[in-house]
Amino acid sequence: MNSDLINLFGETFGIPEEKLVPGATLESLGLDSLAVIEFLFQIEDQFNIQIPDQPSPPRTLEEMVQLVEPLMPKAQSSSPGAA
Amino acid sequence: MRRVAITGLGIVSCVGLGRNTFFESLLQARSGIRSVDVRFPSGPENVLMGSIDFNPDEHFAKAMLLTMDRVSQFALVAAREAMLQAGLGTGLTGLQPERFGVSVGTGSGGAGSMEAAYASLFEKKVARLRPMTVVLAMHNAMAAHLSMAFGLKGPSSTVSNACASSATAIGDAFRQIRHGYADAMLVGGSDALLNMGTIKAWQGMHTLAKPHADGPQASCRPFSSDRSGLVLSEGSAMLVLEDWDAAQRRGANILAELAGYASTTDAHHLTQPEAQGQAAAMSLALRDAGLNTSDIGYLNAHGTATDVGDVVETNAIKLVFADDVKQLAISSTKAVHGHAMGAAGAIEFAASVMSLQTGQLAPTAFLQTPDERCDLDYIPLEARRVQGLRAVMSNSFAFGGSNAVLVAKAV
Repeated sequence: MNSDLINLFGETFGIPEEKLVPGATLESLGLDSLAVIEFLFQIEDQFNIQIPDQPSPPRTLEEMVQLVEPLMPKAQSSSPGAA
Repeated sequence: MRRVAITGLGIVSCVGLGRNTFFESLLQARSGIRSVDVRFPSGPENVLMGSIDFNPDEHFAKAMLLTMDRVSQFALVAAREAMLQAGLGTGLTGLQPERFGVSVGTGSGGAGSMEAAYASLFEKKVARLRPMTVVLAMHNAMAAHLSMAFGLKGPSSTVSNACASSATAIGDAFRQIRHGYADAMLVGGSDALLNMGTIKAWQGMHTLAKPHADGPQASCRPFSSDRSGLVLSEGSAMLVLEDWDAAQRRGANILAELAGYASTTDAHHLTQPEAQGQAAAMSLALRDAGLNTSDIGYLNAHGTATDVGDVVETNAIKLVFADDVKQLAISSTKAVHGHAMGAAGAIEFAASVMSLQTGQLAPTAFLQTPDERCDLDYIPLEARRVQGLRAVMSNSFAFGGSNAVLVAKAV
């Protein structure tokens, strides 16, 4: 999984690294659907990307990465704090 | 009609997080008011305020904070303390969730979040706002957070009656229990409005205090001849109210009885208070409690330290208490905790209940030279210990002419 994205996720929510495994559900990490939406907005803002509307927000860490990773600019992928 | 017990108190204030620190500060006349350097777009200014050193990360997980404005954070921290004292910190211990509601007051709700949104729109010129903007800013967000935190599924409401908001919310909840619509209610108020827009708006009203020569902490001087206005502050107080019999059955420690409440409206002026309306609220609250003026041993005044307000309240108290006013001890604790707006009523009612419990009356700090028009016993400067305190009254009066008065009796 994209480590920049995972690190940002962990930092934003104060979740220890060992819990950030691909299959972990976002709910089990303490996030409700609103927190997920807010995080996706932060990602859009930070990386200047547009995540297409989803019928339902991602359920697991892996689903979130799969949704966001293809949209992230390659040149900036190693410096998530650029924005 | 059912009697209503108060079984828990919690406070977040600029003079202390937690009811004991708060009350001790009041008794010691230890002010939380200070001068803060605010970087307005127009330039820096020193602003008097009762702001709270509050680190949200000490109280909430980061994921939770994404959806909670400061106003809800204050309310939830105060509520945790209140519920814990009521013996309800880990569960509702036999109380039915659908019969346990929430009634809170706020003047400005998530004003900080709204200001942040406007700043993004107009300064950063963003095209989109944070998805959580609505749920952060809406006035009833704190009621929702409180209900979710403790699983309270009974009636829920949020009152916005300016400075009388939380006193009205407590009074409404009192009636819900008294008349059988709920068995218990988590009540109180919260406000977190020390943002640039709100400060500028209040500056425009020309009602804010000027810094006093003795220092910024001494700038809010209710009933004093050299008072110069109110000082904005922030905070929350939450209380647990319960049906008296049910509280006794579950073995709860009853702190006091919420015995009377009344609200009136001046129908007179947007900002000028009127003694008749205030007096009517006090008289009706007394009648509601089945008490006489001679039963009230302490009155926590609204006492904002404005020129007009303190005189009108003094006159209103005289109208109601007549000769008994000579035996009445009164104070305005706003001198030390400032004016927490929508939360003020709950904070001051909590202080009144603590006086009833302890027999200790908080003074009106900085009252060295009273205004000659404010010639009642305002407990100047030093706390007082009294014996046999039977009942207390707490006044909350608001812009818009809303008056709310609560009366509590000793157990």
